[in-house]
Amino acid sequence: MLAEWKTWFEDRFGLEPIKRHFLYRRVPKTSWYQGDGSALLLLLGVLVVTGMFMAATYSPAPDSAYDSVRHLTEQQFLGWYIRGLHYWCGGLMMVMVLFHLLRLILVAGYKFPHEGTWLVGVILLVLVVINGYIGYVLRWDERAIYALRISLNMFWNVPWIGEHLVVFVQGGSQLGMQTFTRLYAVHVVFVPLLLLGLAGYHLYLVVLHGVTSKAERRRPIRTPQQQELIYDAAKKSERYGEQFHPTTTAQTGTMAFVVFLIALVLTLTVGPGDLQPEANLVEPSMPRGEWYFWWYSALIALLPSRVAPAFMVVFPLAVLAALVLLPFLDRGEYRGWRMRPAAVALVIGIVVGMLYLTDLRRRSPWTGWPQNEPPPVPRGIELASGAEQGRHLFAVYGCNSCHAVSGAGPQVGPDLAWIEHRMSAQELQAYILEPPAGIPMPGFRDRMPRQDLDRVVEFVLAAQTFPYEQNRGQ
Amino acid sequence: MRQKTVEAQFLHRRQALRWIVGGIGLASVGSVLAPAVASLLSPVYRHRRLPDWRAVGPIDEFAVGGMHKAVVNLDDDPRLRTVAARGVYVWRRQDGEVVVYSRACTDLGCPVRWDPGSEWFFCPCHGGIFDKEGRPVAGPPPRPLYRYHTRIRDGLLQVDVHSVPPMA
Repeated sequence: MLAEWKTWFEDRFGLEPIKRHFLYRRVPKTSWYQGDGSALLLLLGVLVVTGMFMAATYSPAPDSAYDSVRHLTEQQFLGWYIRGLHYWCGGLMMVMVLFHLLRLILVAGYKFPHEGTWLVGVILLVLVVINGYIGYVLRWDERAIYALRISLNMFWNVPWIGEHLVVFVQGGSQLGMQTFTRLYAVHVVFVPLLLLGLAGYHLYLVVLHGVTSKAERRRPIRTPQQQELIYDAAKKSERYGEQFHPTTTAQTGTMAFVVFLIALVLTLTVGPGDLQPEANLVEPSMPRGEWYFWWYSALIALLPSRVAPAFMVVFPLAVLAALVLLPFLDRGEYRGWRMRPAAVALVIGIVVGMLYLTDLRRRSPWTGWPQNEPPPVPRGIELASGAEQGRHLFAVYGCNSCHAVSGAGPQVGPDLAWIEHRMSAQELQAYILEPPAGIPMPGFRDRMPRQDLDRVVEFVLAAQTFPYEQNRGQ
Repeated sequence: MRQKTVEAQFLHRRQALRWIVGGIGLASVGSVLAPAVASLLSPVYRHRRLPDWRAVGPIDEFAVGGMHKAVVNLDDDPRLRTVAARGVYVWRRQDGEVVVYSRACTDLGCPVRWDPGSEWFFCPCHGGIFDKEGRPVAGPPPRPLYRYHTRIRDGLLQVDVHSVPPMA
């Protein structure tokens, strides 16, 4: 009886072909890391669902957005949970999309017959990055408004149409209502609809053309026919093949679930991303983008001013062009990483570079900033009264806006407890009054009285005896 | 012979039909999408940088020689409060010239902060540093700080908010 109903149901709702061609099809054996795609799909699902529920509270207008986010987080029952999941799944989406991209570069997943799958994937990547960016702009705290301004300034650098692009994105000659509704529409309608549609298409292509199987990575493959033979043999073989459901799905599902679990744990422990003060363009602010963009922020900070404006335009376009052209440029006959040292070097370089840059942004040693307090004196050190006065003047004259002392403070200029070239008092005085050309330091000739100069120098000389390692890195 | 002509005619007709279906389909899509995109682009056509003078404050409030923080209101609509109020720096030079700097770093627009000690502006984001004249001295900024056009009317310092780029 039950079996009859089941047959009827599967027939009338057309489930039988899905089972035959999708669920119970044979595929080559899968490794755990191939679950990154499932993880992305799961994250997308969670983002769409949590996003829908957040949209029910969120108010896309510059005077009420911030309050609505606070209401959601602080007052609405379990609102923090929804926003936390959205925040962490969004962040993990950025991580997993990079993982997916780098893994496919490693195994040459863009080679025939996967070029179409790859190119759709590149569009998906762009969409994910766009939403990862707008997502935290909509929070409308200080970080948000400056993130928006940063992107507008990037557009400004585009030759000829820079100003038009800025006006187009902000929806008018100034930031306003239009800016908000545009960003909101892109984040919740344009991008998600395209993402869902194209992710479905991407999956269809994965089912149709398969993935890069292990068998393909063992030998050179010269023609699509050869690839098809190897792939078919692998999926049909007892040893190298498996049934998609439940064998593959158990593998890939495990990874997806682990990634989701990470988001869940982070939501329950760390909670949703912190809210800075409400967006404004008046107060002093130390905005810092979301952690997944820190590497790029550091990269930009390292640019010399000659190349900075061109870089903002050329770099993203170059990366995009490289991704689009990759399947057509890499004509090597090997797949997998063992025979492709260049791909391995590239991926390791990217990962190490990004981690290094992320840490650099965390420390931001290039940022000078006015400090309220004079530099601390290390424990056990007694300053003479002149040097002690110099220590306070050190802050009055903004020396510690750039110079750390014994690791405490911004590190734009040299740490004064660690100057390689020790100077005499006279040399120091001359240096402070008139820094050598090309040294980014203000001269104090006209505005530091003689006695102040003596005290500051006295302190600097004393600071050179401070232990350096203490308090290192703020 | 006759058979062939019929077949050719049929093929021809099918080809024509394919064109018609495709054409009408595309035209329908275009008739929706093209105006929608044009409408979305409309702020670009409307954009004019005509002078728009806004008050910064009574000129006497800014002592000669000092660098002062001030706020310019770009729009009185309360719904725009988070975006309409702009912090600026006003510097009345000894020679009488009034300089009003935008706080937007010329690198990527982060808010520069004046340090009265070193008399430099510091950007909090990517290491841009500017001197009192607004010249970049360190970091990636390629241009001097944006200066608003200024004028004094009835003792009020005014700036043309459109004299700096639209995102500054």
